[in-house]
Amino acid sequence: MTQLASGIPLEPPVTPDGPAGRILQHPVGKPQGHYEWVYLWQLPIRAMHWVAAASMVVLIITGFYIGRPYFMTQTLATGSFSFQWMRLFHFVAGFLLIATALVRLYWLVAGNKFERFTALFPVRPRDLKNLWRMILHYSFIDRREIRYIGHNPLQQLNYTSVYVAAVIMALTGLALYGTANPSGLVWQSFAWVADLFGGLPRVRLVHHVLTWYFLVFIPGHIYFVLRSDLYEVGNLSSIINGGKFVEAGHDYIDHNPSATTT
Amino acid sequence: MIVPHAIPWAPDQELGQYLEQRGVSRRGFLRFCGEMTAVLGLASNFAPRVARALETMKRPSVIWISLQECTGCTESILRTAEPTIGDLLLDVISLDFQENLMAGAGDAVEDAMHAAMKENKGKYVLVVTGSIPINEDGFYTTVAGRPVREILEETAKDAAAVVAVGACAHWGNVQAARPNPTGAVGVADIIKDKPVVNIAGCPPIGDVITATLVHYVTFGRVPELDREGRPLFAYGAKIHDQCPRRANYDAGQFVEAFDDAAAREGYCLYHVGCKGPSTFSPCPIFQWNTRTSWPIGAGHPCIGCTERGFWDTMTPFYGRLPDIAGIGVEKTADIIGAVAAVGATAGILGHAALTGVSRMRARELPQYPNGPGSSGGASNAPKA
Repeated sequence: MTQLASGIPLEPPVTPDGPAGRILQHPVGKPQGHYEWVYLWQLPIRAMHWVAAASMVVLIITGFYIGRPYFMTQTLATGSFSFQWMRLFHFVAGFLLIATALVRLYWLVAGNKFERFTALFPVRPRDLKNLWRMILHYSFIDRREIRYIGHNPLQQLNYTSVYVAAVIMALTGLALYGTANPSGLVWQSFAWVADLFGGLPRVRLVHHVLTWYFLVFIPGHIYFVLRSDLYEVGNLSSIINGGKFVEAGHDYIDHNPSATTT
Repeated sequence: MIVPHAIPWAPDQELGQYLEQRGVSRRGFLRFCGEMTAVLGLASNFAPRVARALETMKRPSVIWISLQECTGCTESILRTAEPTIGDLLLDVISLDFQENLMAGAGDAVEDAMHAAMKENKGKYVLVVTGSIPINEDGFYTTVAGRPVREILEETAKDAAAVVAVGACAHWGNVQAARPNPTGAVGVADIIKDKPVVNIAGCPPIGDVITATLVHYVTFGRVPELDREGRPLFAYGAKIHDQCPRRANYDAGQFVEAFDDAAAREGYCLYHVGCKGPSTFSPCPIFQWNTRTSWPIGAGHPCIGCTERGFWDTMTPFYGRLPDIAGIGVEKTADIIGAVAAVGATAGILGHAALTGVSRMRARELPQYPNGPGSSGGASNAPKA
């Protein structure tokens, strides 16, 4: 009887027969043999992911209101504080996002091999080569698959770009936030951003346009996660419980379970 | 208007005596000192010190040169309906050389400038209005047959302090807007060896100039400046944070068009392009035309004229965000963003559909061998 690394015996799953069964069958292929659980995302990363996700939703909703208020109030000015509430939520969510970015930044160094810098930015020659193969594969040109347990090169590129975008958002956001108190620490520290872009209106424009980048990124992110969950290596659960089940004895480009188990 | 030359301020006469001679009451003088103390952001117990410094002040020598400009700054400062002591002060101290106010012309004026420079070497205050064109060796603006850059360098060499008045002298203003054919730059771009105080604005508020001079007289140095070289007492806060319409902004009440009900109610002009949130200036407090009104008070959005590059960065004046250059005026950021987001989502749906079709045709895909240490490219495909 085959066993997991944890020692739990595992029966091979039953495959349904017949044409309907063939279509409904999991497209990754008939599960074979036994599985092992690979721990990918440690608690700080999972917590950071969901805090960042929630704050991004708040930031986008309130950010569009600040950019162009989509509802107005009709009372005396003393009877409403809606715009300032929106700004408060925006600033709180923004600072939360910056906090998650700091956690992420530290974990680029302190994390495991799936969480470290080299696994998140396509810097290795291996990943650059596979990036091109992934593009061909995702364009239905090359049918051969490249399997990573962690982030594949396309996902790496996706995250690299969102990290860069988030850094620019944080810098421009801090510069805009700082103007409310020009003698304060925030403006003293980030006024250079306004000079860099050539004036506050341009900082605003960059901050505004990059919001749309996140709206391009988020559907893509969700799609690739679901697609990978269905067709490649299960992904969805790993950002909740930290790991994924992979077939034991199968080698992945960034992980080699057969070398460590048995 | 008080004619500058009507009763001249004698060089060795103290300001207190001079003002008395001009019929300014002691009460009026102290009120002016109190005002200036408040404008400078000093505690009220500084008022006596300001008063002492001013009343014992000897006539300062000021040389006021006009370069590439429209003379609007001088007009704005000098043409007030009711001259205050501040205006009077500005009038009388600009005696040594001011091309627009001098009765003389030609060689006589040039001689007067050189005489004043020689006589007060190292002591005079140089006030500059107008930008300096540097393209084609500066031939775009010449005074007395010389490029203005030469005149500026010559007069600034022996000046005790340089005050650049107006957006032109600050950074170049409209003549420096893209594409800047004359290569116009501000005073601080030419004069590097001494601090330049920028009184920003197109035109700037006269009180700011007066208060800067009062600070110089009282404390013997120029006031604290911000990154742009503007006095912090005046340019230390955004218009937005001092605006009387701020309550409407906080409440989410905005003018959508200049003839709508919200405009009549005096709501916030954020939507119609007010640049108050990007502009550091004391306009809401100091105001204009003897403190009767100012642009936002009159229902017009701020255009951000105290900020560097405002013709390029603050335009369109009636839109909140700059246009994206090279794409077209109507294609603003939001249209581009929405097209990108919708396009990406459509692409994702298309890719998902193609993936589904592809996987229906063949569920098991061949794989690359999996890197070093691979067990021979083991596939998870069912074994035959």
